[in-house]
Amino acid sequence: MGKKLIIMKNISKSFGDQLVLDNFNLYINENEFITLLGPSGCGKTTCLRILGGFETADEGTVEFNGKIINDLEPNQREINTCFQKYALFPHLNVYDNIAFGLKIKKMSKDAIHERVMNILKMVKLTGFENRMISTLSGGQQQRVAIARALVNRPKVLLLDEPLAALDLKLRQEMQYELKEMQRELGITFVYVTHDQEEALTMSDTIVVMDHGKILQIGTPEDIYNEPSSRFVANFIGESNIIKGVMLEDYSVEFFGETFECVDKGFKKSEAVDVIIRPEDLDFISPSKAKIVGIVDSLIFRGVHYEINVLVEGKELTIHTTKHRKIGDKVGLSVEPNNIHIIPRDNNA
Amino acid sequence: MRRLRPYAIPYLLWMGIFILIPTIILIILGFSNLELYNLGVFDLTLVNFRIFIQDQVINALLNSLIYSVITTVICFIIGYPVAYYLSTLPEKKRKILLAMMIVPLWSNMLLRIIAWEKIFQPTSIINDLFGISIDLLGTPTGVLIGMIAMYLPFMIFPIFSVLEKMDYKLIEAAKDLGASDYQTFIKVTFPLSSGGVVSGVIMTMLPAMTSFVLPARIGLGKINLIGNIIESKFMKEVLGSSGASINQGALISLLLMIFSVISFVLITRVDKEGETLI
Repeated sequence: MGKKLIIMKNISKSFGDQLVLDNFNLYINENEFITLLGPSGCGKTTCLRILGGFETADEGTVEFNGKIINDLEPNQREINTCFQKYALFPHLNVYDNIAFGLKIKKMSKDAIHERVMNILKMVKLTGFENRMISTLSGGQQQRVAIARALVNRPKVLLLDEPLAALDLKLRQEMQYELKEMQRELGITFVYVTHDQEEALTMSDTIVVMDHGKILQIGTPEDIYNEPSSRFVANFIGESNIIKGVMLEDYSVEFFGETFECVDKGFKKSEAVDVIIRPEDLDFISPSKAKIVGIVDSLIFRGVHYEINVLVEGKELTIHTTKHRKIGDKVGLSVEPNNIHIIPRDNNA
Repeated sequence: MRRLRPYAIPYLLWMGIFILIPTIILIILGFSNLELYNLGVFDLTLVNFRIFIQDQVINALLNSLIYSVITTVICFIIGYPVAYYLSTLPEKKRKILLAMMIVPLWSNMLLRIIAWEKIFQPTSIINDLFGISIDLLGTPTGVLIGMIAMYLPFMIFPIFSVLEKMDYKLIEAAKDLGASDYQTFIKVTFPLSSGGVVSGVIMTMLPAMTSFVLPARIGLGKINLIGNIIESKFMKEVLGSSGASINQGALISLLLMIFSVISFVLITRVDKEGETLI
């Protein structure tokens, strides 16, 4: 990763009585694809708007390329935004929408033409120059919005749930294309979404947020495999969260049995939450198993079955390609490195 | 929808009786020599067109054009910033200000004209209170001020209603792409409000062009607009005095009607949903 391009220091922001960002600290590296992920109302969009210059922080500083830019207007920042509902100009055609920023910069007509045509090719909209915005499909509008921002060659592109309005197939295509573009152009992308799958697919770094605070920052693998809290575990993918007791380093007890694990550093006999991903539980013969339960429900999900097994009154979810019938007695096993321990969250 | 059709009949009848039939009568009158007190004589003729070479009529047409254009331009210059300001206000303040503009419109126009007439008299309430005499009766300035005051709201409302509905994100997008406040206004806000401007211009210019009570009362009859000519042509006929011709009056009315129809077509072009018309 390159150097730190953006540093947000101690940012707080309230709307009325509501604290939206609470002493928020984040740095963003050059050429990074960073995703702010969280439920709606967690402050991720506000964070983006502060970066874009559309909101000013009540407290704290935003540093860009070594300079504090708190007081810079949006039009003075080397940052462009791809808005949630695109915000394309309805009175201009595709060409003029994309050329808008370049015309403001008073570039020559030829240079503008060349840049616009190149970017149109990149977003696969060659031949659409003269179309009015209202005649485009959602996916095409999305591409125009991205082209309009990227054609200015900003250092940073902010994207506010840009794919939210698209259908699943198109969304997956665009995820791939966005990632490709980011890699090709070497522009820093700051992406906001509430869709964990989108975040996992595209990001170099994921920032999980809730109530204006950062809960965890890490690579998609880190966030998925080592969630730092119950909230993150639940928000990113599905999780079985089981109450347990840490006996000693590398040894945890739950469901009345002792399991080997890879976590350490807890106090002796500390109450903990044990997180096991549904795909990490495997069926074995009940006679050999430490965890034994009865199949409670079964849903066919295409690639896998989603099977709920009732173990000592606690329902565990398992994703497996193996078929079991409702009412079957099953044994479950889990590898030590798939048992993830976090401190007990008594509020949950 | 079909079941609702009977309910439209009274209104259709109303339109037929009070719009369609009078229009037909105007056409017949304009292209014939039919007279109010002499219904026996009826010949189709183009002789009424001679009125358009009379100095009095040409002057009145020019006056109508000049006064309505000046009124419209000044209404636009005052009205656009007001509409823009209104659209940026929080809802509560905006409603209060809108009410302050709308409520006076509910009082009769004639009353408001008479009020201006009183203010423009040498010995007005303004003179009593402040010792300032605004002696503008019978002057072009007085007529213009009256017209601007009368028609300004019709400029403000359509522009306001377009600006109010405009997506604020578009302005943010323009700034995001490097546009200054001024550039944003010129390249985004104003073009997007042009529908409201066209509606506002037409809704100001048309009634200004055809107004006749206002120039008659505030202009003291010294400033004749085309409406005054039409009025006098018809009134003199009714009174049986000389210089009367309902045929000529009808022809001038038809000319104004053509203006109205063209304007309406223009409005429907720029504003397909009719959102700027109040």
